[in-house]
Parts: sequence; structure tokens; C-alpha cells
Amino acid sequence: MKVKVVANILEANDRIAAENRKKFRDAGVFVMNVMSGPGAGKTSLLERTILKLKDTVRIGVIEGDIAGADDAERIDRLGIPVVQINTGGGCHLDANMITDVLADLPPLDELDLLIIENVGNLVCPAEFKLGEDMKVMLLSIAEGHDKPLKYPMMFQESTALVLNKIDLLPYTDTDIEKIRRDSLSLNPNLKIFEVSCKTGEGIAEWAQWVQTLIKK
Amino acid sequence: MHEVSIAQGMLDIVLDYCRKEGHGSIKSITVKIGKAAGVVPDALQFAFETLKTDTIARDAVLIIDEVPVSGTCKSCGKHFSVEETYVIQCPLCGSFSFTVETGRELNVAELEVE
Repeated sequence: MKVKVVANILEANDRIAAENRKKFRDAGVFVMNVMSGPGAGKTSLLERTILKLKDTVRIGVIEGDIAGADDAERIDRLGIPVVQINTGGGCHLDANMITDVLADLPPLDELDLLIIENVGNLVCPAEFKLGEDMKVMLLSIAEGHDKPLKYPMMFQESTALVLNKIDLLPYTDTDIEKIRRDSLSLNPNLKIFEVSCKTGEGIAEWAQWVQTLIKK
Repeated sequence: MHEVSIAQGMLDIVLDYCRKEGHGSIKSITVKIGKAAGVVPDALQFAFETLKTDTIARDAVLIIDEVPVSGTCKSCGKHFSVEETYVIQCPLCGSFSFTVETGRELNVAELEVE
């Protein structure tokens, strides 16, 4: 006997993501999902952003990694509440993992900004909603200007693109204008920032923009 | 790389349905997978074979129905379909900006049960 069972396989994740989103909305916390390939500087960007904002904004962080707690330790040193998720080989965070660790953070209504650092991967994180208000894609200059067209979904799904390590521009053949052009052709509304987490260049402008998005 | 979680999600939907409807064994599962869904059919098939063993789907065959990619270009406004599945570009004007209409599906479609 044949039966029609029409169901979206990612629906379970989407449903949990929607529940997370409602919790975040009700508590008035702005949630940012930061995605990039490994080594682009996600944790460095978090550190820089935290140092700029922590006097005026109550921040919490969820760190996603395949293994280890190095990133969480770096955030903890800044005195910011942080919880580490180890996916144990999983290539992305999913909505359920976020739900499971919320209890390990301060109550959501005592936070203004929750930053989720996804697993370093340019493919899968773009496909799984977590309940965030926006996705931010980080790309470092050393990765080269061919990345937007090679990994288009990341750029299409993101609200902002942060180009990190611009201090390396003189030492690479990376064409930053091509990155801008290709990224905007994939996503005309993408907001692009150029920063160096090493020197601090561009961080003020980026952090100021993040601050304007926070609801309270 | 996440075909295992996709296969598990698919199996959860199917087993849940069979439990509710009282079906004791599954002969086949048909899924519609868009060519731009980022899923490798062979890897999905492999994950399914591994996950089904201790369930009522242990003898089931997985039929993967691939859905071609089509969309409407935001630059020239024309409807198009493409063979390239990851980097999608309007074949008419070359723009990368478009609305995808088919090709991102990840759906269970049909079951054959006893």
C-alpha cells in the first residue's frame, strides 16, 4: 500500500528554531549567528566586539566547536557569560543544541545581545536556522577573493559580511573589490565591513552598527 | 556532511507516522531532494542504510527523487532552470541574484507500507 506523507525533513529544526526565536523576542535579546570557515577570526571578532560594547551592552555567548573549549575560555577571560557546545564531529549547530544550552546562560531577559559562534565551515551552517535575528558571515583576506562565488549560500543568507585581516592586504593577491562586487551580486542588501581584529581597524564602525540593532 | 542528520530526520518523520497509523513494516520511502539542497544522494543513501537497521524500516528501500533547480531572476525578471546546482546563475543575463522556486526541497513524499 502506498501512502502520501508530505513532510519537510528540516521542519523539526525549523520548528525548534521558531520556538527559540520566540523566547529571544519575548526577552528582547538580539541574537547574532556568526559563521565563517575555520580560522577566519570569529572568536577574535567576538573578543573585539565584546571589548567595545561590554560597558553598555549585556552580552552572552554560545560557542560551537567540533571539540575543545579554547574559544569559550577566551570569552570567559573577558568576564562574559559563555557556554561551549561540542558537536562531536557535527559540521554545524542546529536549533535543538541552542535550546539545550540556554539554561546554562543568565536568564535571557538579563541579556541584550546573544552571540552564537557557529562551527567553522563555509557550507552547512547556512542551512540550519537557530532562531537568530541575523546571520553574519566572516571572511578573511587570506582566504582569497574566489570565496563568494564558491560558497554562495553563506553570502546569500547573511545580513552582514565582515572582511577580516585587512592588515594582510599588502601581502596577498586578494582583490577586495572583487569580493565586494561578487558578494553584492549574490545579495544586493548585504552590509559589508572591513576590519582587522589584529590592529583594531574598522572595529568601531562594526560595533557601532551592531549596537544600533540591539532592542533595549 | 550532514546527510546523517537529514536521514535521521526523515526516518523520525516516517517512523512517527507508522506508529500513529499502526503500520508494522515499511517497504519503500520516497523523498524529494532538490538538486540545490546541498545533499549528496549517495551519502544520504548510505546514512539511511546505517540508521534503518533496528527499525521497522530495516527492509525498506530509499527512493530519491531529485528535483531540478528553477527560479526567477531578480535582474531580468525571467523564469529559468539550470543544471548547475550549487552556484546558481541566471542563464539569460548572468545575474547571481534570484528567487529559487524549486531545487531546495528536502521532503518526505511517499511511503509503501504493509
